Amino acid sequence: MSHTVLICDDAIFMRTMVGDILQQAGFEIVGEAETGVQAVEKYRQLRPDLVTMDIVMPDMGGIDAVREITKFDPQAKVLMCSAMGQQALVVEAIQAGAKDFVVKPFQPSRVLEAVQRVLG
Amino acid sequence: MDTGRYAELFLTESQDNLSAINHALLELERTPTAREPVGALFRAVHTVKGMSATMGYGVVAELTHELETLLDLVRRGEQPVTAALMDTLFAATDVLERAIELSVAGRGDELDATATMATLRAAADAVSRESTPASATPAPTPASRARQKRARASAKSGVRSSEVGGNLTIVIALEPETPMPGVRAMLVIERARSLGTVVHMTPPVEVLQSDRFDGQLTIRLESSAADDEIERVIRSAGHVGELEIERNGSRRKSGTASANGRGASRASPNGTGAPASSTRPTPLSAGRASELAPARQHRHVRIDLHRLDTLMNLIGELVITRGRLQQLAGTINEPALTEAVTQTSRLVADLQDGIMTSRMVPVWQVFDRFPRVVRDAARALGKQVDLVIEGQEIELDRSLLDEIGDPIVHLLRNAIDHGLETPDVRTRAGKVPTGRLLLTASRDRSAVVIRVTDDGKGIDRDRVLGRAHELGLVEPGKSELSDDELIRLIARPGFSTAREVTDISGRGVGIDAVHARVRALGGTVDIKSTKGQGTSVTVRLPVTLAIVRALLARVGDETYAVPMTHVNETVHLEQNTVRHVKGREVLVLRDDVLPVLHLRDVVRLPKRDARGGQVVVLEVADRRAGMVVDELTGQQEIVIKPFDAVKDGLSVFSGATILGDGVPALILDVSSLL
Repeated sequence: MSHTVLICDDAIFMRTMVGDILQQAGFEIVGEAETGVQAVEKYRQLRPDLVTMDIVMPDMGGIDAVREITKFDPQAKVLMCSAMGQQALVVEAIQAGAKDFVVKPFQPSRVLEAVQRVLG
Repeated sequence: MDTGRYAELFLTESQDNLSAINHALLELERTPTAREPVGALFRAVHTVKGMSATMGYGVVAELTHELETLLDLVRRGEQPVTAALMDTLFAATDVLERAIELSVAGRGDELDATATMATLRAAADAVSRESTPASATPAPTPASRARQKRARASAKSGVRSSEVGGNLTIVIALEPETPMPGVRAMLVIERARSLGTVVHMTPPVEVLQSDRFDGQLTIRLESSAADDEIERVIRSAGHVGELEIERNGSRRKSGTASANGRGASRASPNGTGAPASSTRPTPLSAGRASELAPARQHRHVRIDLHRLDTLMNLIGELVITRGRLQQLAGTINEPALTEAVTQTSRLVADLQDGIMTSRMVPVWQVFDRFPRVVRDAARALGKQVDLVIEGQEIELDRSLLDEIGDPIVHLLRNAIDHGLETPDVRTRAGKVPTGRLLLTASRDRSAVVIRVTDDGKGIDRDRVLGRAHELGLVEPGKSELSDDELIRLIARPGFSTAREVTDISGRGVGIDAVHARVRALGGTVDIKSTKGQGTSVTVRLPVTLAIVRALLARVGDETYAVPMTHVNETVHLEQNTVRHVKGREVLVLRDDVLPVLHLRDVVRLPKRDARGGQVVVLEVADRRAGMVVDELTGQQEIVIKPFDAVKDGLSVFSGATILGDGVPALILDVSSLL
């Protein structure tokens, strides 16, 4: 049984890239979300093993989404996707319940390592 | 990573974000205190930054980074929204657009963005100098001194151990080049907390959250966990290199997990959080992949327009063949055949519908850039313009939409340049200082109507009329111009280029170009203008280019196609349908009296007794006329074929088509008849 993933990012580009990296590693992409609100909704619906979460999104940002998701499921495994220069936001996300983070630009190996850490 | 296949996705999405940036900038300029546009700006710039860094587009990444830095200051209220700031941001956005285009074309290094970046940086620096006076932040510790520092830190914590309590000290060095080491250190501390109580750590949290953190971390911990367990848990935070555990003088040290590369750190024998084989995903088999496919939602396929054009041509041929098939089936009159043909027809219709729909895009895809165009034009001309766009969701065939963008820009610029007055002139005329410019799109039967309306000074008809007299284009003694006559005059190629007229008349520049372009697309242009109150230009376009529904009209042995877009109704020609008023033929239709024309005259066939014929009521915008034909032979979907047979011949045809029976027919350009 491969792990299921929900990818949350407002950029199709990023969703595609993260999706490709994870799919090639054998993960099953069960859903994508473009906004924080969608991310929370889809998490409730799909209960994925892993969530990748962009920080800056319209309609509820990634941090609030993490907070909501963890409130709903304290065991939720959320991996933050951040850009350089967002230290403070990543810290906030981790305090909100995110388990780990990766920094753009994404290198597949880095993403997979982080995913392993979150799932492990 | 092979980023080539992402380039197009990057471009499309960047363009969306650029458009969002421009919108937010315009919004911000209108309401400098609003927070929403700043947030939207920040998000869009940020998204482009993330994508460009991933693509390795250095210049785009740097530009967006500088933009983001400046915008962050705006967001935090440290940088006020001034006109100068807006100019800087607008200019930077233009450079960014260029940078994106060039980068995708693989020519990113051709762009010199240093000046723009310097401007952005200067703007940001000016603010931070103000807010943080003399207390400059200390320079980051050079990496070469990291070790020393760690030793010091370790010693320090050792000294303090008695004061702060705790039974062990963990000294950690993050792997070199760990992204966001400070945040990673926070994760390490989180893990340490799961082992016991963290009583002290060096450096303090403030340093972790700054850029000064060098990756060396010491944690004083009260825990009963064994060393192995501690090491496993700490390493599970990721990116942990060297790790030392000091326990009452005894010291356990483990080497850098990263020494053998990142792969090694995952498979580290220390149990660094590497997953058990059961949790590690296995590569997918082909069957598995196809099973997963439907799970991917919200996916768009971007198709080269050429492919859709090919499909469109094929469906065009199919539509023609269907017509032929229907005729044949009609003659043979075999029920089974008729049924099969009917079914095929329905399928072809559905197919045609599907392909047409796939070509339709909402007009906002092109209208989106207009606010910026208007803003720039207004600024350059010293005018205040409030642009309102309505009907953005109206859909149009992609190829038509691409074609219509420039003419609309032309109309908008015209309205600002020649229609709308400067604020003081408007005030003197008793108008509000800000000119109103309205761009609307709407559907009207099988046409899309695009209208540009301004509340400016209107066209000076007297001047236009005067010029028309000079050129001998109107009957001598004519003293008034209707809207119809006006458009016909100013749309004449020679007329509008007459400089002194356009400058004085206030309009006419390029209207001929717009007119020509729109007519080539099978559309029409109309103008309504009231002196002192404004001008409205209406462009009417077919929804789709290639296939139109047409009424087939016969005169003599020839069949002509009349696009249904322009057909209002048809009337049987009887005794009193056409009357003579003042020597002219008119069609009396209910309460209306319409001019009459004969298709026989148009195609230069000899007149014949019109009785028994039909009248097609044609309509273009507000103009109507009755066209007498010998016979109407039916309606049909026709496929417009490129038409260049008649160079200097009659300009009353807009194209040609092949009818169901394989016979070619000319398509009437109705707007040229009225």
